[in-house]
Amino acid sequence: MKRRTLLLGGLAAACGRGPRLNVYNWSDYIAPETAPQFERESGVRIHYGTYESNQEMLAQVMSGNSGWDVVFPSGDFIEPMRELKLLAPLDHALLPNLSALSPEFQRPPWDPELRWAVPYMHGVTGILYQRSLQPAPATWADLWDARLRGRLTMLDDEPEVLGACLKKLRDSINSGNPAELQAAREQALAQKPLLRAYLNAEVRDQAAAGDVLAAQAWAVTAAQAIAAAPGKLAFAFPSEGFPRFADNVAILRESRRAEAAHRWINYLLHPQVAAGIVMATHTASANQEALRYLPPQVRQDPVLYPASEILARGEWFQAQPAASQKLRDRLWTEIKSS
Amino acid sequence: MTRLRTIFVTPAAVLMLVTIVVPAAIICVYSVLSRGAYGGVELPWTIENYGRLIDPLYGGIFVRSVGLAAAATVLCILLGFPLALFIAQSGARRNLYLSLVILPFWTSFLIRLYAWMFLLRDTGLINTALQSLGLIHQPLPLLYNTGAVLLGLVYGFLPFAVLPIYATLERLDKSLLEAAADLGARPLAVLTRVTLPLCAPGIGAAAILVFVPSLGTYITSDLLGGSKTILIGNLVQNQFTTARDWPFGAAISIVLMIVAVMLMFAVRRRGEELL
Amino acid sequence: MKRGLEVYAIAIYAFLHLPLLILAIFSVNASRFTAWQGFSLHWYQAMFADRDLLESAGNSLAIAVASTALSTVIGTLAAYALWRRASNWLAGGLYLSLVTPEIVTGVSLLALFQWAFRYVDFRLGMHTVILAHVSFSIAYVVVVVLARLRGFDPALEEAAQDLGATEFAAFRRVTLPYLAPAVAAAAMLAFTISIDDYVITSLVAGVDSQTLPMVIYAMARRGVSPVLNAVSTTIVVLLGTLVLLSERLRRA
Repeated sequence: MKRRTLLLGGLAAACGRGPRLNVYNWSDYIAPETAPQFERESGVRIHYGTYESNQEMLAQVMSGNSGWDVVFPSGDFIEPMRELKLLAPLDHALLPNLSALSPEFQRPPWDPELRWAVPYMHGVTGILYQRSLQPAPATWADLWDARLRGRLTMLDDEPEVLGACLKKLRDSINSGNPAELQAAREQALAQKPLLRAYLNAEVRDQAAAGDVLAAQAWAVTAAQAIAAAPGKLAFAFPSEGFPRFADNVAILRESRRAEAAHRWINYLLHPQVAAGIVMATHTASANQEALRYLPPQVRQDPVLYPASEILARGEWFQAQPAASQKLRDRLWTEIKSS
Repeated sequence: MTRLRTIFVTPAAVLMLVTIVVPAAIICVYSVLSRGAYGGVELPWTIENYGRLIDPLYGGIFVRSVGLAAAATVLCILLGFPLALFIAQSGARRNLYLSLVILPFWTSFLIRLYAWMFLLRDTGLINTALQSLGLIHQPLPLLYNTGAVLLGLVYGFLPFAVLPIYATLERLDKSLLEAAADLGARPLAVLTRVTLPLCAPGIGAAAILVFVPSLGTYITSDLLGGSKTILIGNLVQNQFTTARDWPFGAAISIVLMIVAVMLMFAVRRRGEELL
Repeated sequence: MKRGLEVYAIAIYAFLHLPLLILAIFSVNASRFTAWQGFSLHWYQAMFADRDLLESAGNSLAIAVASTALSTVIGTLAAYALWRRASNWLAGGLYLSLVTPEIVTGVSLLALFQWAFRYVDFRLGMHTVILAHVSFSIAYVVVVVLARLRGFDPALEEAAQDLGATEFAAFRRVTLPYLAPAVAAAAMLAFTISIDDYVITSLVAGVDSQTLPMVIYAMARRGVSPVLNAVSTTIVVLLGTLVLLSERLRRA
C-alpha cells in the first residue's frame, strides 16, 4: 500500500516511491491479472486510471503536466495529439513484440510507421438492441424511430453522433463540409426528444438490465453486454455504413519513465497477454499472434470479428483539420445543450 | 486594531485572495480570450464568448436552469415552512426533530441522489411495486427527465430551507402571537398575518440557500436527468472538460457569479445575517 | 392545526429518510435485483475486496483530515478576528465563497492551478485537492464559530486582560474554551463537507488522488449496483453518526 503524508500530502506525490507507471486507459479494457503480472515480472508498479472517451482523456493530458505516462488514444486522435506535442516518439528497438500485430495494423492509416502509437484493440460502432425489439433495427435511420422514445441512447462522443447522422444522410463520417455538418446537426436535434441519455460504455449495464431498448454502441461494449445478458441482446452493423476505430497505446511526452513505458507496451504486445485481455474483456485485438491462443467461438464472434463483406462497409475515423474540428466541437456543444 | 487580530485574520485573508480573488481574475481574463484549435486559451481578445450566450440555444439553457431553480426554491419553502413550524412548536422534543432534518442533510448528497436513481428507474422499487400491484403494465419513465431533476433538487435542498426558517421562528417573540390571538385573530390569520411576515428574513435566507446552488447544480441533472437535461452547471463543466472550450466556459461562469453576487446583495440587505 | 402539522411532519420525515432506508435494506439483499431474495452480507464483502474503492476511501480520509485541520484553525482564528472587528472585505469574501455555485469554484480553481503550473513544476494531486477543500470549508467554519461568539460577552476577555493576561492568553484561556463545542462542531462540518465533495474535487484531482465520491459517481453513472448500495449505506451510517455527535457537542 502506498503511504500518504497527511498534511500537505502531495509534495512527494511527484516523486513517488520506487518506479511507478501511471497508465490511463479506457474502462474495462484490461484483464484483472494483466497489471499484477507485469508488476511481478518487471518490478514496476502500475497505477491504473480509466476514462470513458477520447475527449475526457485529451482534456486531462492537454495541460502537459497531467502526471500520466501511458494513454490509449483512438487512431483519429493521434495526429491532433502529435500536433499538440503531447506524444513521445516510440523506440522500436525496445518493442520487439511489434511483429505480433496483424498486417493491417502494422501500417495503420493514422501512423504508417508506428512512430507514435501501437494499435491495441479495434472495433466498430453499431447498434446494440434487445432481441425483443421487432423488427430489429438494421440502419442508423432506425434509431430515429418513435417507438424507441425514452429508451434509446447514443454515444456521448462527437465524432460518433455526427458520424451516425452523416451516415444516415449518406455522407462520409469524416466530412468537413459545413453544409453536411449542419444537416447532421439538424438530424441530431431531431433525435434528441427520443433520447434517454448520451452514454458511452456506461450503457452496458443498462442494456443488460433491460432499461434500454436500443443504443449506439461500440462493438466491445456490445460484446460485454451480450455476455452479461445471454440471449437477450444483439448487435447490428448498420447498412448505410459505420465507423471503424482502433485504440492505440501511446507514451506521453511529459512522461519521465519512457523505458518502463516501453516495457509495458512490449508486454501488452505479448500474444498470451493480449489473448488474456481479450478473454476477460470481449474485445477484438490488433494482435494477430494472440488469435492462436483464443478458443474458436471467440475468434469467430460475429460481433468482434465480422465477416469481411460486412467490414467493407466500415470507414476509419480520420483526424479533422483544425477548422472543421472547431466547427464540429461547436455543433456538438449545441446538440448537447438543446 | 491589534496585532493579534491582524495575525489571526491573515491566513484566511491570504487564502481568500489566492483561492477566490485570483481565480476570479483569471476566469475573467479567459472569458475574453479565444479557444485554440483543439482547446486551450490563446489570443486574440474577443467578446464572442459572451455573444454566444445571447444565442437562443444557450438562452434556453439559462431559462430552463432559472426556472428549475425557482421551482425548487418555491417547493422547498412551501414544503419546509410547515415543517419548521412543527419543529418550533414541538417543545422539548425539538432537538430530536432538528437532528432528524439535519441528518440526511449532511450525509452525502451524492448518495442521496443515487438512492433516488435506485427508486425511480424502470426496474426500480417504485415501478416494480406499482407493476406487482397491477396498477401499471409498462414501467413509468420516472427517471431521466426534468421532473426527476426537480425531485432531486427539492430532496437535496429541503433541509437548507427548513433550518433558516426554523431559526427565525425560534427567535420569534411569542408574545406577539399571543397578542394577535388576544385581539381575536384565528390561528390561520395569526399565521399568515403575523408569523409569516416576521419570518421574512429566514425565508429570504432559505430562498438564496436553495436557489443559488440549484442554479449551478451539476450532479443532480447529470445523474437524474440522464445528461440529456443540460443546465448551466453541466454546460460549464462540459466546457472545462470534454469540450475543451475554456473561454466559453469562463464567460458562463462570470455570468453565474454575477447573478449569485446580485442575489447575495439583495438578500443580505433584508435577510438573515450569517456572517 | 396541530394534528395536521404532525401528520405533515411524519410525511416529510418519511420522504427525507425512506430512500436511504430502502437503500440500506437492499444492500443486504442477496439478489442484485429488486426482488427480495434473503439476507446476505456478500455485497459488503465485495466492497471490502475492491482495491480501488479502498484506496480512494483512504485518499478521501487523508484529504478530509488535512483540510479539516487547516480550515478549522484558519476559520476559527478568522471568526474571532471578525468578531473583534467586522471587516466587510473578509465577510464579503467568505459570503461569496458560500454562495458561489460549486461548479464555478471548481473551474476557477482549476484555472488557477493550471496557470500556476506553467511557472512552477507542480501538477494536480492531493495537495491541490486539500487546498481546494480548505478554501471552501473556511466559510462554513467561520459561520459556526461566529454564531457561538455572538453569545459571548467581550467583557470576560477584558477582565482577563485587566488581571494581567496578554491578548493572546486571554483568547486562549477564556474565549477558546468557550468556543470549544463550536470549534468541534465546525470541524465535523468541515470533515463531512470534504468527504462528500465531488464537483470541485473531480476538477482539481490528479493522477493519484481519486476520492471516494469520484468512484461512487463513476459507479452511479453506470447504473444501479448492489455494491454501491453497500458503500452508500456504510457511508451514511458513518457520517450520520459523526453528524449526530457534532450536534450533541454543539448543544453542550
